[in-house]
Amino acid sequence: MVRLHPLHRLDLLQLLLTGMLVSLGLMAVFSASQPDLKRQLLSLAVGLAAFAAAAALDYRQLRRAALPTYAVCLLLLLAVHLAGHSALGARRWLSIAGFPLEPSEIAKLVILVALADHLARAQGREQRLPTLLGALALAAPPAVLILLQPDLGTAMVFAALCVGLLFLGGASRLHLAGLGAIGAVAIPIVPHLLHGYQRRRLEIFLNPASDPLGAGYNLIQARIAVGSGGVFGHGWLHGPQSQLGFVPERATDFIFAVYAEQFGLLGCLVLLLLFAFLLVRLAWAASVAPDRFGFLIATGVAVMLSFQVAENIGMNIGLTPIAGIPLPLVSYGGSALVTNLAALGLVQSVLLRRRLLVYRPEQVLERYLLNESGTVRLGPEIEAPLRA
Amino acid sequence: MIEPGRWVELAGIEPRPRWTRRLHLFTAIVLIGVTVLSWRLVELQVIQGAGFNRLALINRIHRLTVEAERGVIYDRHGLQLAFNDPAWSLQVTPVGLPDDRGGRAAEYQQLARLSGRTAADIGLAVAADLDPYRPLTIKAGLTQQEAETAQERLPELPGARLDQVPVRRYADPEIYSHVLGYTGRIDGEAYKQLRGSGYLPDESIGRAGVEAGLEDVLRGRNGWEDVETDANGVVKQVLALQAPVAGRSVYLSLDGALQKEAYGRLQEGLAKANSKAGAIVATDPRDGEVLALVSYPGYDANAFAAGITQAAYDKLLADPGKPLYDRAIAGLYPPGSTFKMITGTAGLEEGKITPSTLLGCPSHLSFGAWTYWNWARYDFGLMNVLKAIPTSCDTFFYQVADRLGPDALAAYARAFGYGAVPGIEIPGAQAGVAPNPDYKQSICATPGSPECSWNEGDTVTMGIGQSYVLATPLIQAMYAATMGNSGTLLRPTIVHKVTDGAGTVLTSAQPAVVRQVPISPANLEVLRQGMNQCLNGPWGTAAIARVLGFRWDGGCKTGTAQFGGTGVDLPSHAWFVDFGPYNTPTFASATLLENGGFGEYTAEPVAVNVLDYYFDHRGQINLDG
Repeated sequence: MVRLHPLHRLDLLQLLLTGMLVSLGLMAVFSASQPDLKRQLLSLAVGLAAFAAAAALDYRQLRRAALPTYAVCLLLLLAVHLAGHSALGARRWLSIAGFPLEPSEIAKLVILVALADHLARAQGREQRLPTLLGALALAAPPAVLILLQPDLGTAMVFAALCVGLLFLGGASRLHLAGLGAIGAVAIPIVPHLLHGYQRRRLEIFLNPASDPLGAGYNLIQARIAVGSGGVFGHGWLHGPQSQLGFVPERATDFIFAVYAEQFGLLGCLVLLLLFAFLLVRLAWAASVAPDRFGFLIATGVAVMLSFQVAENIGMNIGLTPIAGIPLPLVSYGGSALVTNLAALGLVQSVLLRRRLLVYRPEQVLERYLLNESGTVRLGPEIEAPLRA
Repeated sequence: MIEPGRWVELAGIEPRPRWTRRLHLFTAIVLIGVTVLSWRLVELQVIQGAGFNRLALINRIHRLTVEAERGVIYDRHGLQLAFNDPAWSLQVTPVGLPDDRGGRAAEYQQLARLSGRTAADIGLAVAADLDPYRPLTIKAGLTQQEAETAQERLPELPGARLDQVPVRRYADPEIYSHVLGYTGRIDGEAYKQLRGSGYLPDESIGRAGVEAGLEDVLRGRNGWEDVETDANGVVKQVLALQAPVAGRSVYLSLDGALQKEAYGRLQEGLAKANSKAGAIVATDPRDGEVLALVSYPGYDANAFAAGITQAAYDKLLADPGKPLYDRAIAGLYPPGSTFKMITGTAGLEEGKITPSTLLGCPSHLSFGAWTYWNWARYDFGLMNVLKAIPTSCDTFFYQVADRLGPDALAAYARAFGYGAVPGIEIPGAQAGVAPNPDYKQSICATPGSPECSWNEGDTVTMGIGQSYVLATPLIQAMYAATMGNSGTLLRPTIVHKVTDGAGTVLTSAQPAVVRQVPISPANLEVLRQGMNQCLNGPWGTAAIARVLGFRWDGGCKTGTAQFGGTGVDLPSHAWFVDFGPYNTPTFASATLLENGGFGEYTAEPVAVNVLDYYFDHRGQINLDG
């Protein structure tokens, strides 16, 4: 009764939810900016390949690559500073063979793996302060580099990822509270560190009417688009706010407003439920992960996606400040789509291996017993390699 | 056979999920987050949905004003003088301009290069605009080449566009320049006052001449259209429309052919007299309609219609001939001998002389410390007023003026229209001056000092239209008409009729009498005879007209008005006033050659040529047709 790498062990529900979200995203991108669709389809092809590769790859192999890729990633972020392309006042892009590459997107996944590796190594010492400080030390350099681009949104994703992993990885409640306290003290200082336009965004979030034709315009127009969608929406390709160009950045940051205008409250609830199911499914993936590293990978992906979804939709409907974070799987943007699909692929990789054991010919299958929680209890002699 | 160390699956055994507390908490946070976002969406899309829908509507539906076409101006026979020509105009929709300051400044620079305006000027105009969705005209009436250059640049100029917009054009712009005036963009200051009347900030408005005087008639009523635009102000569809009502057609009382002839003859006469500027005003003494209104030099009114450049405007201002100055209605000149009929009227009516009173006409006369000369420095002998007018004897009229005093003289000058703005529909007409001692004090540099008080010399020279007497050519023409039409001072009018687009006559000129001049028919006839004798009498100063081939009968008076002091051999303006035919005049005119020398040698040939033309070509035409 032994089968090799059964692809039907793939989490089809996760794949289905991802597929639906990506499809809705393609529809929204098409309605927001038709010329962008071709490029997004190309990115999707690359993303699917990345998804398949990540799923096929034994995620455990990544632990060896975690630190080197982390180092390469830092170099890439530095390269952006030195040779990056600018847009909207920020240097974010590198040109790789004519294709724009956003290293900060890829960095999300690399940092996730590095943090998961670090915390998995610290198994049993989760509550200790050095574990927490080590995680912070890993997350801080790329976050600072990205903050300097300047890209407040992505830096915030890093912070959320780090805190989320520490929290789910079992860090001490006291330490987390301390981190929270430091954050609470730091937040009032943040506006002074922000670049001009970022500070404006924050001020405008607090009072959008202060500048209705300038920077507050984006926020107001997005909210009008969402609100005018009503219950049923204007229908696909029919939202006047987005079709007539009133919604700014409508293929990227404000894609949700475009979607909401066309599909209304019902469409929005469908989208939210799809995201909720996907996130819960990722949490479930964490719960069945065969090892600590796999658990942390799955929770990390869940935290990363949930933060971005909350922040993006939040800013579209005026609940959170504008931070320039795309809506995962939906917004136009190749690097983000490929990264997110690769991240989901990694979770699949964890899931694919959730019931895998090392087969040793000299061992007898009868010796494997089920424990009370339903997981496989292994004999001590073959459990050891899983810990490595 | 499975190789050692390979991963294999334990079939059939599904590990039970291990949900830690914190994983549960995470799931709970996700669900709470979804609930919060959902509630916010319900609030925005359901509770406030209608409100946002309205805001979205306001966003994209804009009411744009559709400018009414300006009324066409014709001469009295239907010759088009001012009309609207379709032309390309460069416009900018402010909302379509780049959002960033740098991009905007760069675009203003580009637009400045295309339009000839300065970037700062364009920036100000955009900043002052109230509706960012309305295309703002940067430059109207582009030439074909300018339009092509702009067309090539348009792709790099977001928010800019070319549109066909009628632009004002004038036939024979120099000939009609002062009558028609010109239109131009409203400037910033004026707009504050005009906004209440529904003007747009970049709308054209009459700035001079009939264009300004009849602005309300010519302007028409702007319409509007409700359009759906995109965020850059590009119109996607028109939802509703209220068509504009074009301005009314104005038929001027001018006779186009006569105006052209008068301008040409004046130009010719000025060249001969070595003079740079002049004016001719011709009117119909029966109704006060102005038949020709020429001020030379003219200017190219078409340059204004397209938006004149500062350089071109400065050049006009610096021109020594002062082409923007309408001498016909605003030029103030001493009337000289043409004033003598007024002195004669005053003398006769006030009983200081009778038609048969004989006064000497010596070469000079002394009044107190002053000695004044006749224009010809020899004694003409005794004469009555009937001979004094055609001989234009200065010393005769010195004596009459001396008997009358300044106040009586001024009263009769006022009766003939001096000192009051003639009610013509063109702005800028001047009143002239019928002076009295108070007037001299008021213009004197050192009021109260002896040189400012009126003296006898002022009185006697006033009798020959010098002293402080001033008149415009228009006042002079109306005065000549009054002499022709039995003493009725008419209000001059330039508008023959106003019609709507369908040709229905809305208003037509009605003769308006200002006053009946207080002069008995018998006395008036004496003066008219005097004017006739100027032409026909053996000593008539205007007898040269016969040599010029003058055929009709009428009355006239020459004038050689000195300025820059009193005395002989001073530079002088040449005048000629006339009416005709003698019994039932249909034509009266005043001709002035600034600095033209003797009236009979320089002004008279011009006036005679114009009169000839009128009676040869236009005399038979029913002027009301």
